[in-house]
Amino acid sequence: MADKGLASIYTDKTGIYKHREWRGLKDTAYDYKMWCGLWGTLLKWALGHPVTNVKALFRYRWMFDYLKVPSFYDRIMEGARGAALKASRNNMNALAVSVTDLLDTLFEADLHLHPGDEKAIKAGEKILPVDELIPALIFKGFPDLKPILWQEIPEYLPSLINCHSPEYYIAQTESYGLPADVCPLPVTELGIAIDDDYPVVAAKGFVSCNMPCDGSIMTSALQDRRYQLPTYPLNIPLRWKRDDVQEYAIAELREMIKFVEKQYDTKYDWDALRAAIAIWNEQVELRREKWELNRTDIPPHTGSTMWLYSIFEHQVTGGETPCLENDRKVNAYLREQVSNRECPKVIKHRAVIWNTPANMYANFNAWILNCWGVDVVADMIDFMGFDTIDTTSEDTILEGLAKQIQGATMRVHTKGGIHVMFDDLWAKVAEYNADMVIMFDQISCKGVGAINGLFEEEARKRGINFVWVKQDLFECTSISRRDMREDINDYMSLVMREEPLDPSLVDFDDSECW
Amino acid sequence: MKDLKHIHFYEDLLEQANNELVQQAKSEGGVAVGYTCFYVPEVLLNVGNAFSVRLRAPNTGSLDISQYYMSSFICGYSRALVERAFEGGYNFLDMWAGTDTCQQMNRVVENVVEFRLIDNPTFTHGFLDAPMKITEHGNKHYEHMIQVEFLDKLKDNFGVDISDKAIRKAVKEHNEMCKIFEAISELRKAENPVITPREFHILCLVSYACPTSLILPYLKETYADLKKRKPDEKCPWRARFVVVGSELDDYTFSEIMESCNAYVVADRYCFGSIPGRKQIPLTTDRPALEQVCEFYLAENQCPRFMSKDKIEERHAIARKLYEDYGADGIIYEQAKFCDFWGYERMLENAKFLDDGDDIPVLQIDREYVIAGAGQLRTRIQAFVESVEIKKIQKAGGAK
Repeated sequence: MADKGLASIYTDKTGIYKHREWRGLKDTAYDYKMWCGLWGTLLKWALGHPVTNVKALFRYRWMFDYLKVPSFYDRIMEGARGAALKASRNNMNALAVSVTDLLDTLFEADLHLHPGDEKAIKAGEKILPVDELIPALIFKGFPDLKPILWQEIPEYLPSLINCHSPEYYIAQTESYGLPADVCPLPVTELGIAIDDDYPVVAAKGFVSCNMPCDGSIMTSALQDRRYQLPTYPLNIPLRWKRDDVQEYAIAELREMIKFVEKQYDTKYDWDALRAAIAIWNEQVELRREKWELNRTDIPPHTGSTMWLYSIFEHQVTGGETPCLENDRKVNAYLREQVSNRECPKVIKHRAVIWNTPANMYANFNAWILNCWGVDVVADMIDFMGFDTIDTTSEDTILEGLAKQIQGATMRVHTKGGIHVMFDDLWAKVAEYNADMVIMFDQISCKGVGAINGLFEEEARKRGINFVWVKQDLFECTSISRRDMREDINDYMSLVMREEPLDPSLVDFDDSECW
Repeated sequence: MKDLKHIHFYEDLLEQANNELVQQAKSEGGVAVGYTCFYVPEVLLNVGNAFSVRLRAPNTGSLDISQYYMSSFICGYSRALVERAFEGGYNFLDMWAGTDTCQQMNRVVENVVEFRLIDNPTFTHGFLDAPMKITEHGNKHYEHMIQVEFLDKLKDNFGVDISDKAIRKAVKEHNEMCKIFEAISELRKAENPVITPREFHILCLVSYACPTSLILPYLKETYADLKKRKPDEKCPWRARFVVVGSELDDYTFSEIMESCNAYVVADRYCFGSIPGRKQIPLTTDRPALEQVCEFYLAENQCPRFMSKDKIEERHAIARKLYEDYGADGIIYEQAKFCDFWGYERMLENAKFLDDGDDIPVLQIDREYVIAGAGQLRTRIQAFVESVEIKKIQKAGGAK
């Protein structure tokens, strides 16, 4: 099978595996065990509230995407061996546990599924819907509430699991007259609102925010119109690296806390927050260790499962014990492999990926490693949550949280002035000893698109291999996965004049693949 | 109607950013400060010997260079500014008062700075980080940013007087100019107004693109001329519209409106007179800077403001303009690739539909360079006709 190449196990167009991937006896057995573990989590969840879950399946278009999770997991850890496989499987299975818990919380209170039901209303009154860009750690100070990053379940995760998931919702928004050049992420969020496909709960308030970009600011306003809840629009400074804007950021957090206290008639619990921050601080240390290990000549865990888990941890599970326990376990695997000087993969190039990853091709990192031996040792989206939080006083806590929130996913690089994103790229190239930069040209991202030339000129000056890969984040109809592969294939064959490690992966049709 | 006094002079002034009056102010020792956004309080750039120039890129042709550096999905205004900067069109600037209010415009200034496109050894710049809602701490933050990013830099780099007295003097002059615009704007409420949309658009543009102190005497004379002016006997206007939207510094837009016999009764867009040409009230009990900053945040109607009160306010203002100026409809115009106005026009259209009182709304997007936009003309023509049909139907005519 190795001779035939990895693509030989794909069904044409859909990419569905004809059979499981053979990774050698030990790794295949481990992979199978963890795959069964995933099914266990899913079945436990499905059978926990079978009627509600079936109702949800028929009520929400995006729910069907969660049925594709096992296939998605296989795709994004394709080719992984050793510690990378263990880390990937453990990370993703931990994520599955957390998401199924969230689904339970959400559906229990969902008035779409339980119209007029007293129990659902009561459960909903404890739910605090929050924009998905606000890291949830700060809400650990409300232990009696259940903060839910509102767009994460219906929008963000499905867009990763099934690249065709956003198409319908994007069409909903554009049919109202929104231009098609806007970033498809906020467009999808809005489409779900227009289609009334967000759960409806008896929440008492909503916390929106101005992150990460102009499109998101505007979609918040429109979603607000749909939710019809008292809203606190959290404003985070854009020039967030400056010391003199921190006062504003902290004042905004204080006001937000007051808003939630008032709406939910509750009190902010600083001790509960301190306990969560202690967990978070250890998570940060473990994340730093992961980065450190990937700086070695035998990077143990690279790829999509690394950044995907990282986003989830920063935004959702920061300050949660199960996540910390998973981190400890995963880091032990990675540490062991590096200390044994093992590297169960072929690395021809060490690459840094810059700009936001394409949700519609979450397994891009796996593909480029398996096909061309390009190991993405550093991914822009993975770098956030650098600092631990000082819990000495309420002021130091808020100071730390303000920094953590301002440095949320994506905007940690795309806001704060050009040097935040620009300088950090070259710093990462040096730190990770990379010989290649894969620059995602996310065509509808105007904030980054407007400085494309600066990156291009600097790369030329530095003489680094700089590959532009066009993508459209959520939209696989404008730029397909195959188009993205073509950008790489052209560069590797025409500029680098290299032969692929696995020729079967160079070109294949996955147009109907989830 | 016969030509308005100074109109040809104004047209000449709009031919380039570094126009005759800008050159005159520079030769008299003025400090030229470029800016592009209402978030930057224009009046504060006119303190001491500094003067503001709201940046335009007239006669823009090819955008090849900026397209290479900025991608083709960036708004035409941003690309045109970068293109013009590459051509050396802004070398007269001493400072660029930049804003991080729209990510594309923020990147314009960053490109200008990083590529050192302004060939002026004393050139400097600042970036404004401004809030998206109005709060006490937000006002404080906004004022602080203006102080350190603009005023302090003017003082430290060019010795500009930024005292409270200097600010009050600038506000006084600014208010004098705004008073003229408020009066001219009132003239647009007449059934057969004495000023055309094109003329008003030109007046407004020169007031932004030239030093206030130098353009003010001309504007006074033009207003005096307008007071005596008699409209054509036959009213040429088939419909009257409020235009709301994004940056619009090409008066060809108003020419196209005129060619469709559509009258612009109110201009609530960037570079328009509402709210940019509204007098700033000052009291003596508080620092002028604080009051000016509060005014600019309160009056700002950029869709970037995301709090519910501001969203509702934007809608209410458009409606009020429609009612006060006796309009027949509202046109929401969006510079192509402007994310804010792309969403806003969609939101507003939906809101007016929900209101259920049948206010006709047209949504359009347009390029920065409008000349030759046949499609735009066709759409406006069609809108004028649909409004006329509605009027006939309302009057009990054809069903």
